[in-house]
Amino acid sequence: MNGWNGKILEINLTALTYKTYPLDMEIAQQFLGGRGLGARLLWDLVGPEVNPLAPENVLIFTNGPLTATGYQTSNRFSVTTKSPLTGTVLDANSGGFWGMQFKKTGYDVMIVRGKAKSPVWIEIKSGEVTFHDAGDLWGMRVYALTEKLGQDNNRRNVLCIGPAGENLSRIAAIMNDRERALARGGPGAVMGSKNLKAIVVEGKERPDIADQDQFKFMLYETRKLLAASPLTSQALPEFGTVVLMNIMNNIGALPTRNHQQTQFEGAEEISGETLTEKYLVKNSACWACPIGCTRISKTEKVEGEGPEFETTWAFGAQCGIADLAAIIEVNSLCNDLGLDTISAGSTIACAMELSEKGYVDSELRFGRADLLACSVEDMAYRRDLGADMAEGSLRMATKYGHPELSMSAKGMEFPAYDPRGMQGQGLLYATSNRGGCHMRGNMVGLEVLGLPKLIDRFQVQGKSSFVILNQNSNAAIDSLVVCKFTNMGVADEYFARVLSAVTGIQYATGEMIKVGERVWNLERLYNIREGFTRKDDTLPARLLNEAPTEGPSKGWVVQLEPMLKEYYRSRGWDENGIPTPKKLADLKLADL
Amino acid sequence: MPNIKLFANLRNVAGAKEVSIMGTSVGAVVSELTKWNPALAGHLLENGQIRPHVIITINGHPTSDMEAPVTEQDQIAIFPPITGG
Repeated sequence: MNGWNGKILEINLTALTYKTYPLDMEIAQQFLGGRGLGARLLWDLVGPEVNPLAPENVLIFTNGPLTATGYQTSNRFSVTTKSPLTGTVLDANSGGFWGMQFKKTGYDVMIVRGKAKSPVWIEIKSGEVTFHDAGDLWGMRVYALTEKLGQDNNRRNVLCIGPAGENLSRIAAIMNDRERALARGGPGAVMGSKNLKAIVVEGKERPDIADQDQFKFMLYETRKLLAASPLTSQALPEFGTVVLMNIMNNIGALPTRNHQQTQFEGAEEISGETLTEKYLVKNSACWACPIGCTRISKTEKVEGEGPEFETTWAFGAQCGIADLAAIIEVNSLCNDLGLDTISAGSTIACAMELSEKGYVDSELRFGRADLLACSVEDMAYRRDLGADMAEGSLRMATKYGHPELSMSAKGMEFPAYDPRGMQGQGLLYATSNRGGCHMRGNMVGLEVLGLPKLIDRFQVQGKSSFVILNQNSNAAIDSLVVCKFTNMGVADEYFARVLSAVTGIQYATGEMIKVGERVWNLERLYNIREGFTRKDDTLPARLLNEAPTEGPSKGWVVQLEPMLKEYYRSRGWDENGIPTPKKLADLKLADL
Repeated sequence: MPNIKLFANLRNVAGAKEVSIMGTSVGAVVSELTKWNPALAGHLLENGQIRPHVIITINGHPTSDMEAPVTEQDQIAIFPPITGG
């Protein structure tokens, strides 16, 4: 077999047993791997009757047909589950080394079912699975645990949860390779609910490649393309993702103080330029990645990976904080505790507004950098107001009578782009299958950066077609699985040629986007089966009704309704946002 | 004179974060900027045109129109090709 290993590993934590069986290759060809394959398997395994934190929920770890082949950025992997934060289908995706190593154990998929009676950790070596007692590891933080279990980037890799996952925080991440995160939507809580502390992988198998000569040529060409692109050869290595801070602020689309404003007076102090000048130690990279966007930064207290743009914004502008050292330190703390930094920062910002308005009795105020670390600790250990924050901003704000102050869609906190200054981003957030997210598509390229071309960010009519293409493309890349930054230098259709060379199956021009569309529609069907309807494709009232009073986005709110109607029509869905039988037949989803 | 803000590696090349430059259109301002500091030319221009993916905003509004007029009160920002997220 080429590309895929052709094997699924299924672990039953209740019985502490495991079995292996063949991967259905018809499904694999249609959904590839990663996010797509995970969604297809989740459809069969977890129905609407299952509580996300019950033993009946599953964790599905997937790599893809390109993983571990050595193709540029072929290190990524996914976990798919029903989200305890949103109740939607969830996949979270991470880089580093673990995904490559998991593929080398000989499996494409690992399904984790049930719940162990007491804490365990799992070791997978050369295809064999060993269950270990984790009683003495329960309570450990991520950095110490990762070291204790023998993290060795190219040989043995550790994936684990921290205290946040153990305490079932709905915004808990699963961490891998120390500081990489399957972050969004609370997969760490699902792992904690199963009494599963860690999964360690060691493997030696390399995937077979159908056409070695062609594959080597594609490696050579991709290297040239990435080197020729100023984005992948200069922008990302030199300044990392945080370089977006100043431009988002400049155009008035940087959400500030829980989206009360769209420009932050302290943006320069927390920018990529300042990070590089004052705190950068060196660059780092995931396995097989020539881009190297990772920052290793250092303050007087910590040294480690990050922070990324979204994290810096969440604890920075969103909380009204211009102290970059404090942000670097709280980023490190979140990684050690196993928390999603976007949701953690944005939930603190929501608590700050609740507190400033007198709805919550707390010291929290915008700008209080001194309270970031203790807020995050409280969140991970469910102490005081932290117990509410651990539930995410929507549940917390609802408890205190003001759900409208949660800046989220479907319960997932937004990232760092204010859609009042980017209409397409508003449509993208509202229709995202896992909630407020920039990894299900991101309009910043088209609406701000001119990638591949600049379109009018305030335009409404015709915007849906760009959003749909963006969403489908991202779904395909998440299913290969490669890093989205590769796509800055390599076009979607090029990936079809790489996939053909690796698997020996001819993927025609246009097929990648078709795969992405199939995945998107399947995820939509899953959410509909869970009870989500058209009314859930929406945004907080603040974004729909409260226009910024100053700055370049002054006077704008998201014009969602006309964009949504156009979007449903362009997707081939009915007026209620349900895929039509014709569309499902076209995507080979009619039997679902 | 319009005020020009520079970002990312343009600051290192120019040795400044901000500069005031004469010009009544975006194209004229960029032209004057590269005369003021010729090292910027390689970062901003390609075959006499603005390099692909260089981002220019006037008062926070991205533009790809080099004929767009600018006045002394305008804030112009210039970013080299960047991405992230």
